[in-house]
Amino acid sequence: MAAKWIELVTGPFEDKRRWRRFKQRKAQLPAGYRTAMDGLERYFMYAGPIAKGDVYIQMLEDLADLIERAAVDGTPIRGVVGEDPVEFAEAFIANYADGQWIDKERRRLVDTIDRSEGEA
Amino acid sequence: MGKQMTEMLKGTLEGIVLALIAANPAYGYDITARLRDQGFSDIAEGTVYALLLRIEKRGLVDVEKVPSEKGPARKVYTLNAQGADYLREFWGSWSFLTARIEHLQWDVQQPHNTGGNDGREMD
Repeated sequence: MAAKWIELVTGPFEDKRRWRRFKQRKAQLPAGYRTAMDGLERYFMYAGPIAKGDVYIQMLEDLADLIERAAVDGTPIRGVVGEDPVEFAEAFIANYADGQWIDKERRRLVDTIDRSEGEA
Repeated sequence: MGKQMTEMLKGTLEGIVLALIAANPAYGYDITARLRDQGFSDIAEGTVYALLLRIEKRGLVDVEKVPSEKGPARKVYTLNAQGADYLREFWGSWSFLTARIEHLQWDVQQPHNTGGNDGREMD
């Protein structure tokens, strides 16, 4: 009961646990890979703000899978993000569109245009 | 690869990747390597990864996680029935598009064969 109430205020404990785990994974990466991850994470925050906590965490975990794999396989950062890192970042973000703030407005626009057809 | 090639490739990459998976179930790493062998030498591993996440979310592939000695588990991608349907549709679209574009190219390069003569003397 108390736990439920606290989660309402602070967000789910599960998300926090996953978030801490993600921070640990990042801390264990070799320096160059960690720098790249920081850069991507920052870009995600500005370019594709995710409203849903669990979707955002999922996105970071998927990114960590990619970067950790690359670090283990010895794939250079450039081989992972390509010539245009923005393009990669945008393609990656698009997978989590259902968690973005803008998603609500996209649906609202579609509904409004549907309604406008009915009024015409 | 030139900018134009990159743009064109973007629209077809999904179909190409599904075709590769249809031929053989594969890890993301293998898929990138196969694409490079096929001539897409500049393809970034992250781009392929983002695409694989997308087709997984859309339910076109089945994914099996295989533990790895080092690093996170590797995912093996296998085409499922829905993916096979999608791939058939892709080949249909591809055939249609290439036929139309070749037709257009023929018309443009051989204007006298269309019967239309815009007043200029033909040689």
